[in-house]
Amino acid sequence: MKDKEKRKLRGDVEGNARALATGFKYLVEPNRMTLDYPVESMKLAPNYRGFFTVDDKKCIGCSMCEMVCPPEAITMIPRVVSPTGETLPVQEGASQEAGAKPAKKTKRPVVNWGRCIYCYFCFDICPVDAFVRSNVHDLAYYNDADYRPSYEGYLKLPEDPVKKSKKVVPRPDMKRGIKYEPAP
Amino acid sequence: MGILLLIIWLIQDLLYLIVFPGLVVAMVLVILLIYLERKIAAKVQMRYGPLYVSRKVGGALQSVSDLLRFSFQEFILPIGSDSIAFLMAPGFMFAFAMMPLIFIPVGPYYSYLFPSTLTILFSVALITITPIYAIIVGWASDNKFSFIGSLREAFLVISYEIPLLLSVIAMVIVYRTLNYIPAVAFQETHLPGIILNPIAALVFIIVAIRSTGRFPFDITEADSELIMGLYTEYSALFFGIGMATPYIELYALSLIFSLLFLGGWWPVSIHATGLLAGLFLPGIIVIIKAFIVMMVLVFLRAVYPRYRVDQAVRSGWERIIYLGIIAVIISILEVIII
Repeated sequence: MKDKEKRKLRGDVEGNARALATGFKYLVEPNRMTLDYPVESMKLAPNYRGFFTVDDKKCIGCSMCEMVCPPEAITMIPRVVSPTGETLPVQEGASQEAGAKPAKKTKRPVVNWGRCIYCYFCFDICPVDAFVRSNVHDLAYYNDADYRPSYEGYLKLPEDPVKKSKKVVPRPDMKRGIKYEPAP
Repeated sequence: MGILLLIIWLIQDLLYLIVFPGLVVAMVLVILLIYLERKIAAKVQMRYGPLYVSRKVGGALQSVSDLLRFSFQEFILPIGSDSIAFLMAPGFMFAFAMMPLIFIPVGPYYSYLFPSTLTILFSVALITITPIYAIIVGWASDNKFSFIGSLREAFLVISYEIPLLLSVIAMVIVYRTLNYIPAVAFQETHLPGIILNPIAALVFIIVAIRSTGRFPFDITEADSELIMGLYTEYSALFFGIGMATPYIELYALSLIFSLLFLGGWWPVSIHATGLLAGLFLPGIIVIIKAFIVMMVLVFLRAVYPRYRVDQAVRSGWERIIYLGIIAVIISILEVIII
């Protein structure tokens, strides 16, 4: 047998033995990095970019957010302002009794969650700081239509699905890589 | 009286085929093995594995729920497929994978449905029939992935069958019999086969991995290249049968390995009598040994990447066949010296 072949054979045997030994080591002492998600969940930073909504009272309908939105997720829908100061759909506003003060036409933003990339450019550009942020980021919908809420649906902030779970924070660990510790 | 004895004999054999080492135990072991395979691979790869179906027992019912899902799924027959072959081949495959169990004894007082003294020969011969149906499946599916999968299977069959037979021949030369029970008796009086001829054991293990498509040789079902290989077009129960077939083959090969190399029902003597020591204990010991072999083989999934088909075929023809010939030579030398 040539020297090169001998070295190759020895490398094969050694490599296989080392691979099997490493696998067995992890089988006996598992080093799990997966977060056991619905049971425990990560404690998010206070400025985490999650789902957001708009303060109906503050919004002036300037359409800046629609203009700046990179994925074109924000659409401005036409609304009318009622005499009491609430915004109503156009049809309801139009059906008010004649003689009253004419309803003022305005616009309000609605986000298509299927397109939104959570860049928060709309927060930055809003001249009256009308957007309201939240930490909720883990929601899914059953239907395609649910990704495009109505204005009333958009005004409600979604509820956190993992509110009851154990909150953990990741810490770098020399031995295990990542370790999850209970949040302080 | 004679008729009664015949009926008892038939019931005993049917129980043997359907319940104890046969269908029911095989299916339970396969379900357990699939769960353990996923769990072992997950542990090594820093994951949890199946957990959400029955969380309290660590997801142990995941395989059962998969089986239920396969049972009630919609079955789709592709338009271009050769429908009769497409429908029949998985069934035949499964049946031929089960067939070696007829000839594999799990105890010394084993009455065959077909009495024979050539059980090793028959069981090994039946194992080599299954790949024919794998090739039929690939042809009948009318799908390029299935067809490439079946061609790969054909390449591999040619390269692994000769080493399989060589390693079995090596042990047959040592034991000087073609029957499992005298082979186990020989190991009881001398040494277990794995010590008598370790090269043959190594070749048999490698070939068992290769013929059942376990991990370094997961070539016919290479999911990253061939979707699901042979079973790309299958759905519902037919897919379930196709997925279970390699595991049944693995069960048969592990039983053969534990009988030929690990001393069969070794701690229990072959001359033991009585209901417990003579009938039940040997079977339980053989199945535990086979299950440990199966666990070791599925553990490889967590460690190895996949060989390319040409690498696997080349290693078959250039290395493993020589190892098989060396195993036969070792056996001949042992027989001459002893």
